[in-house]
Amino acid sequence: MTDSSELVASADPYASRRRWFIPAVALGLLAAAWAALSLGAVAVPAGEVLGVLAAKVGVDAFEDPSQQAEAVVWGIRMPRLLLAFAVGATLGLVGGVLQGLLRNNLADPHLLGIGPGAAIGAAIGSAAGGVQGAIAGGVAAGVITAFAVRLLSKRASIDPTMIILSGVALAAVLSAWVGFIVFAADRSTVPPIEFWLLGSLTGSTWRALGTAFAFLFITSIIMLSSAHLLDVMGLGEADARHLGIDVDLVLTVLLIAAGAAVGATVGAVGVIAFVGLLVPFVVRRVTGPSHRSLLFGALASGALFVAAADLVARLLIQPVEIPVGLVTAAVGGPVFLWLLTRRRDA
Amino acid sequence: MPETAVLAESLTYRIGDAVLVSNVHFDAGPGALIAVIGPNGAGKSTLLDLLAGNLRPSEGRVLLNGIDTGTALPGDLALARSMLTQRSPVEIPFTAAQVVAMGRFPYRRDDTNTSERDAAAVAEAMERTDTTQFAARIYATLSGGERTRVSLARVFAQDTPIVLLDEPTTALDVAHEERIMRESVQLSRRQRAVIVVLHDLNAAAVHADQIVLMSQGAVVARGRPREVLQETILSDVYAQKMVVVDHPFRDCPLVLTADG
Repeated sequence: MTDSSELVASADPYASRRRWFIPAVALGLLAAAWAALSLGAVAVPAGEVLGVLAAKVGVDAFEDPSQQAEAVVWGIRMPRLLLAFAVGATLGLVGGVLQGLLRNNLADPHLLGIGPGAAIGAAIGSAAGGVQGAIAGGVAAGVITAFAVRLLSKRASIDPTMIILSGVALAAVLSAWVGFIVFAADRSTVPPIEFWLLGSLTGSTWRALGTAFAFLFITSIIMLSSAHLLDVMGLGEADARHLGIDVDLVLTVLLIAAGAAVGATVGAVGVIAFVGLLVPFVVRRVTGPSHRSLLFGALASGALFVAAADLVARLLIQPVEIPVGLVTAAVGGPVFLWLLTRRRDA
Repeated sequence: MPETAVLAESLTYRIGDAVLVSNVHFDAGPGALIAVIGPNGAGKSTLLDLLAGNLRPSEGRVLLNGIDTGTALPGDLALARSMLTQRSPVEIPFTAAQVVAMGRFPYRRDDTNTSERDAAAVAEAMERTDTTQFAARIYATLSGGERTRVSLARVFAQDTPIVLLDEPTTALDVAHEERIMRESVQLSRRQRAVIVVLHDLNAAAVHADQIVLMSQGAVVARGRPREVLQETILSDVYAQKMVVVDHPFRDCPLVLTADG
């Protein structure tokens, strides 16, 4: 059977689309990085940005950058850019995982209520221990909310749209509780309500980045390594079991990972909605349903989307910075509505 | 390989007060095709789910090639038995070939397995189920009968010693029903234990080595087709007058419904 090994591969209608996708996203990430480090109230030319970066890795190939350039590029813009990349990558990845797990393209960590739930823990943690406390509190509350979603999804398993609608209701209630906590808390230690519910990368620090990254790295490895399992679970729970998958164990582990990952992002930058919905939706049209390419694609594209959205948030009406979640919601909301109506028609 | 591939002892399954399967003994050896027949609600699918390890029996236990389904790891079960259900979701976005290739998932940690063996198993399974021409089609766009055949190809690709099929032919046209039943018989001849739930009594009459007749959760008759497919037994179990004659061309009984 000479052509048998090509039977599966040749039948993949997305193979050619994937070829241009990787260079396109890589180019986009580079462009976003350049814009994020160079543009702003203080414009730093590309040459000087390179000078700062080169000096940091001990290369003396460029002329010495000014102190101001170093403070702006390395002290302010670099942690913000990397946090945008890390948060966006995580939200895109989590969206792809949840959609595969619940077999529902409408699943989004924030629409399901995991984001607002994590924000409650993050706001409480923030009062106790600054950004690190916020991240720890966000992780704990994110995991708990992810399990609440699992219970909901079990009961509503007959109608997948029910999971989403109950998630939206859950999100509204949890968001209200975030408000109560923020207004009851000391204003000088806990960030304001718009930070938690609309998200912001303003004031990103290396410390926030380091703490969040520790959680995001581990959880992302777990989620990325589940790609093959998610493919097979697409056959439905019964057939996944017949093929040897411990469905309950996979659900539990991935929901813990997803809840912890979302919680860490919320603790660091608040709730940035619609990234987990929009990014996998777009990426799936390029990569196809296979989770290995979908999850890696969503990771890279999510990073690009949030970094780009943060550029808009920062530069649109200078010197005012708008919450980054407003930008992602302005793009993602209409797509969500379209998906919802299309699903109902079907 | 042990003499008995499937061994179920005093199997009972209850939900609340309802007894779906009642004290069933069941065994199947390699090399035979066993058809499970019976009216709606007789417990056929429940029995198959119990044999597969999908349901935990209220009483009794199931051994698949010597492993107890109650304590076995999911991965070990997947190397012992495959199963075709009627519950596959329709919106699977993968191509038919990708779906069939998922049948090889249980072998991903098997060092003796190779990608050539996976590819050969997939190609052979699609050939046997007449689905090679759908390889590049998206599963969700196939018709009901085509989807059943692709799912069956996935089961064949899993290549397990025990094969459980829940009404594999219900959605199929007569030509494909005949073909799938013949392939299932061929499979059993390659030393597999094949257990098939069937509604079509004549398909069971033609192709089965043994027939198990269930009614109200219990096995009421078991034996060769001529022993089980008898007018009095069938008329009683189905509450419908039945006539059994000799098949004009084949060496097996032919079951017909009758007035009265």
